[in-house]
Amino acid sequence: MAVESVAARGSVSSNVHRYGGNLRGFVRRSPFAAIWGLVGLILILMAVGAPIITPNDPLKTNFTKMSAPPDSESYFGTDQIGRDLLSRILYGARISLFVALASVLLGTTIGGVWGLVSGYLGGLTDMISQRFVEIIMALPGLILAFALVLVMGAGMWTIIIAIAVTRVPFGARIIRSVALSVKETAYVEAARGIGASQVRIMARHVAPQCVAPFLILFTVHLGTVIVIEASLSFLGLGVSPPTPTWGGMLGEASALLYPFWWHVVFPGVFITVTVLAFNLFGDGLRDALDPRLRGTLE
Amino acid sequence: MRTYVLKRLLYAIPTIFGITVLIFGIMRILPGDPLGAYYGIETIIQWTPEQKAAILRDLGLDKPIAVQYAVWIKDIASGKLGESFFRGDPIINILAQRGPISAQIGIISVAISWIIGLPVGIISAVRPNSIWDMFTSFFTVLFLAIPGFWLGLLVVVACISWFQYKAPIVSVQFWEDPWTNFQIIVGPAIVLGLGQAAFIARMARSSLFEVLREDYVRTSRAKGLIERLVIARHAMPNALLPVLTLSGVLLGFVMGGSVAVEQAFTVPGLGKALVVAAIDRDFNVVQNIVLFYAIIFVMVNLLIDLLYGWLDPRIRLN
Repeated sequence: MAVESVAARGSVSSNVHRYGGNLRGFVRRSPFAAIWGLVGLILILMAVGAPIITPNDPLKTNFTKMSAPPDSESYFGTDQIGRDLLSRILYGARISLFVALASVLLGTTIGGVWGLVSGYLGGLTDMISQRFVEIIMALPGLILAFALVLVMGAGMWTIIIAIAVTRVPFGARIIRSVALSVKETAYVEAARGIGASQVRIMARHVAPQCVAPFLILFTVHLGTVIVIEASLSFLGLGVSPPTPTWGGMLGEASALLYPFWWHVVFPGVFITVTVLAFNLFGDGLRDALDPRLRGTLE
Repeated sequence: MRTYVLKRLLYAIPTIFGITVLIFGIMRILPGDPLGAYYGIETIIQWTPEQKAAILRDLGLDKPIAVQYAVWIKDIASGKLGESFFRGDPIINILAQRGPISAQIGIISVAISWIIGLPVGIISAVRPNSIWDMFTSFFTVLFLAIPGFWLGLLVVVACISWFQYKAPIVSVQFWEDPWTNFQIIVGPAIVLGLGQAAFIARMARSSLFEVLREDYVRTSRAKGLIERLVIARHAMPNALLPVLTLSGVLLGFVMGGSVAVEQAFTVPGLGKALVVAAIDRDFNVVQNIVLFYAIIFVMVNLLIDLLYGWLDPRIRLN
C-alpha cells in the first residue's frame, strides 16, 4: 500500500512538468477546462482594467435617473440612487476577485505549511494539530467567517483574514496526507541518512511534492470563497459602502420594498459565472495533475 | 459495535469542548466594543468612568476572561445559554422560537436534495455520456455555482413581478397555522434543496459509476440477474455510503447558506436572528447561536458516523 502510493506520488511531480510547463498540452487534453480558465482570466483582467473600461463613474449618483431599466446609455440599468450598474459591477469585480485570491492564497498557504509540518513530524504534534483542524471544521465556513468579521470589524483585510481562516483546515488536511506518504520514500530516507536537518528535508524534499495538490486546492476553493465573500457583503458585513461589491449590491437591492429585476439579476450573473469559471478550471486542473484528489477537496 | 459507538461518543466530547473555547476566544479576546455599537459612540463618550464600569458590571464584562468563560459554560449547562446582552431574555427562548422554522427548512431541503439528486445521479451513472447525462451534468455544474441567496432573491423578485405575491413575513410555527408556515418555509427549502441536490447528484453518479465496475457486480450480472436488481440490490447499498457522508458534510453548507437565504426571503429563522444580533453587536446571542450550529453539526455527523459503522462492517471493525 505504502509502496503503491509512493509510486503514484512520484508521477505527480512529473505531471506538474508535463502540464504546468506545457500550456498547449493542457489545452489539448482538457479544452473545456481551458476555456473556463480563459473566462476566469478575462474576469481578472476586467477587474484590473475597471477604471479604463467602465463607461461611467461607479459612485456618481444621478437623481434624475433612479432605478432606470437597462437602456442604450446604461446597459445594465441604474440603481436606486441612479448609479450606473454596469460600472458598479465592473468595479465590484475588483473587491470580489482580490478578496478571493488573497484569502485563498493566505489560507491555503498557512494550512499547507501546517499540514506539511504536522504530517512530517507525526506523533503527538500531528495528533494535537489534527484535533484542532477538526474543531475549526466543525463550524460552518460562512458562520465562522461571519463571527470573525463581526468582532474584527468589516474591512477588506479583516474579510480576507476571516475567509482565510475557514480555508486553513482544507490545506492542512490535504497537504498533510501528501506529506505522510512522501516522508516514507527512499529519497527522503536517504536525505535523513546523510544528516539533512528536519527543516531542510521538509523544504527541499517534501514541499516540492505538495505543489500540485496546493495548486489544485487553490483553484478549487476560489469558487467557494467568492460565494462566502458575496454572502458576507449581502448580510451587511462586507467592504463598507459606497465601495461597490457584488454581494453588497444584492443586499441593497433586497432592502428595497420592491426590488427591480436588473438590480438582482446582473450582479448575481457575474457571481455565478465567476464561480463557474473557477470551479470548472479547478476540476480540469485536478484531473490533469492529480485525479486521485477527486472528491476529497471540498 | 458497542466499543465503536462508545469510542465515537467519547471522541465528540473534546471536540465540543474545543469548539466552546474557540468560539469564546473569537467573541471575547478579539477587540471590539459592544457598548459603542449599541448605545452609539456619542453616548459612550459622555459617560463617566463610573457609569461605564457599572454597565460593564451589569453585563458581566468586568470579570477576568476565565471567569466569563466559566460563567458561560455554567449557562450552557443550566440549559438557558445565558441572556441577551441588551434585551435580557434568555437566549434559549430565541432558539425555541426561531429554531423550529430553520429546522423545518433544513430537514425539508435535505429531503428535496435526496429526492432530486439521487435519481439524477443514478441515471447518469447507469448511462454515462448519454444525452441525459450531459443534460444533468450541465444543471449539476450550474447549481454548484449559483449562490443560494441569489437564487432566493430571483424567486422573490419573480413572485412579486409576475404574481404580485410575497410570502408572509411573520413568525408562525407549523402547529399554529400550517398553511402560513408552509408559505414561509417552502421557498428557502427548495432553494437550499436544489443547491445540495447538485452535490448529491455528482457524488451519487461518481460513486455508483465506480461500484458498477467492481467484480461482485460483474458476478451478479454473470449469474443472469436482471440489471435493475443488480443496481438496486447489489450496487446501490455500497454506492450510497459516500452519499450519506456527503449529506452530513453538506449540513454545514445548509446552515451557513440558510443564514443568507433566510435573509433573502426575510424568513424569521435562526439565521435571521443571528444577523439581527450581529447588527446589534449582541455578542452573547451571536456566541450561543454559533455554538448551537456547531453542536448540531457535530452531533449529526456523529450520528452519520455511527450509522456508517452499522451499515458497513469494514468501518467498525477497523
